Formats: sequence, structure tokens, C-alpha cells
Amino acid sequence: MALKAALLRHVRVPVQTLNPGLSLTLTGAKWGLPSLRWMSSHDDHLSKNEVTERVLSVVKSFPKVDPSTVTPEVHFQKDLGLDSLDNVEIVMALEEEFKLEIPDKEADKIDSTNLAIEYIYNHPMAG
Amino acid sequence: MSFTLRSVKVPPNSVSLEEARHRVFDFFRAACRSIPTIMDIYNLQDVVAPSHLRSVVAAEIRKHSSVTNPKVIDMLLFKAMEELNNITEHAKQRHHIIGQYVVGREGLLQDTGTKDQGASDFLKEFYKTNYF
Repeated sequence: MALKAALLRHVRVPVQTLNPGLSLTLTGAKWGLPSLRWMSSHDDHLSKNEVTERVLSVVKSFPKVDPSTVTPEVHFQKDLGLDSLDNVEIVMALEEEFKLEIPDKEADKIDSTNLAIEYIYNHPMAG
Repeated sequence: MSFTLRSVKVPPNSVSLEEARHRVFDFFRAACRSIPTIMDIYNLQDVVAPSHLRSVVAAEIRKHSSVTNPKVIDMLLFKAMEELNNITEHAKQRHHIIGQYVVGREGLLQDTGTKDQGASDFLKEFYKTNYF
């Protein structure tokens, strides 16, 4: 192992010294940032503002809802005058928007925009 | 998709209205989750939006919202499941879906309003139906 490392170091050094053009491409901006992992899905969870905005836009685009009454704390059935089937329909629309599959038991509990935002924000797969 | 749905046995009757209610919501969720597949196999992308199809399914369910007998709800659910099965296993053709769910009850000949403006209300009603 030590031999391999030493050999690799030995091999790589001359390349960098002898051919600066090549070393520039290898250690350029694309490869030189260790903090940024390409094609990794670790750092793309949604911000709270984005979740709120998208949830509200889904609720506002629901045909029976008056868009001006929608706020982040609105209750679907008490405030917006929807029935339980509309509630399920909104949850399904949210599933489609955020590419989730919400289990039935949790979907039953989501009855306000506040709860929906909270659930989606804490969901690891929301995208 | 189609075969997984088909393999589901006919469930026993709902004991209470509450259970039947839950089954309706479960069916609605299953139908909503199969909408992307349906849009795919019938090429509905440029005809209709998923949200419209969802609303249509909800409207079909809401038509029977006054039913309170669990046995009747179970029967309606069975028919709904049958219909969903037929659609997801491509037993229908594109125009069936468009005619029944996209264009809807108004029919394929939608009145755009220019040709019979001079006609009396009686005549307009008469063209629609003679039962009035």
C-alpha cells in the first residue's frame, strides 16, 4: 500500500511539472473542489421557503379554491370549505408535485397547509 | 400494474359506513397514482393535465355522495375498480378515455355558440333533448 502510494506520487509529480496544461485540466474547477460532490444527492433537500411556495401554488391552483384566501396556515376543510374528498385530492396533487408517495395513514392526517408543508419539508425524498 | 391490481381478491363487504368511506379514499388514491401510467399508455399528455383527470375521478365519486348503504358503496367500488383495471391494462382505446373522461358529459359535439344564436330558447332546448 505504501509502495503503491509512493509510486503514484512519484508518477504524478512529473506529469504536473512537465505538462502544466494537462495538470490544469485535471485540477481545474471541475475536479478541484472536494466539497462539491458531483452526481450526489446529499445536498439538494428543499428549503422551507421553496416548500411553502410550491405547496401554496398547488393549493391555489385547485379549482374550488379562491386563491386569495390561501395562506400558509389555512385549514382545508374549515377555512377553504372543501370536503374530505377534496382534501385527498389536494394531498394527491402534492404527491405529484413533490414526487412522493405519502402512506395512507399519514395522508389522512394532512388536513391543513401547515401540516402539509411540515410533512414535505421533513420528508427526505421530496424533490 | 394491471396484473397486480387484478390479483387483488374481492374484499369482504364493509361492516360500517366508515370502513366503506375509507375504501373509497383508498380507491381514489389508487386511481390517482395510476394517472401517470394512464396518460402514458393512452398518449394523453397534450390533451389533458393530470389534475383534470384527478378532478374527473373525484367528480365521478362525488356523483354518488348521497349513498349511505355500505353494500351499495361496495358495489360501486367494485365497478370502479373494474373500470380502473380495464383502463390500466389497455382494454380501452384512446377515444374511449377522451370521450368519457376528458371531454366529459357535454359530449363530443360541444356547442361553441355561434351557429344557433338566432334560435329561440325552445329550439335550443329541443336540440338538446325532447324531455323538458
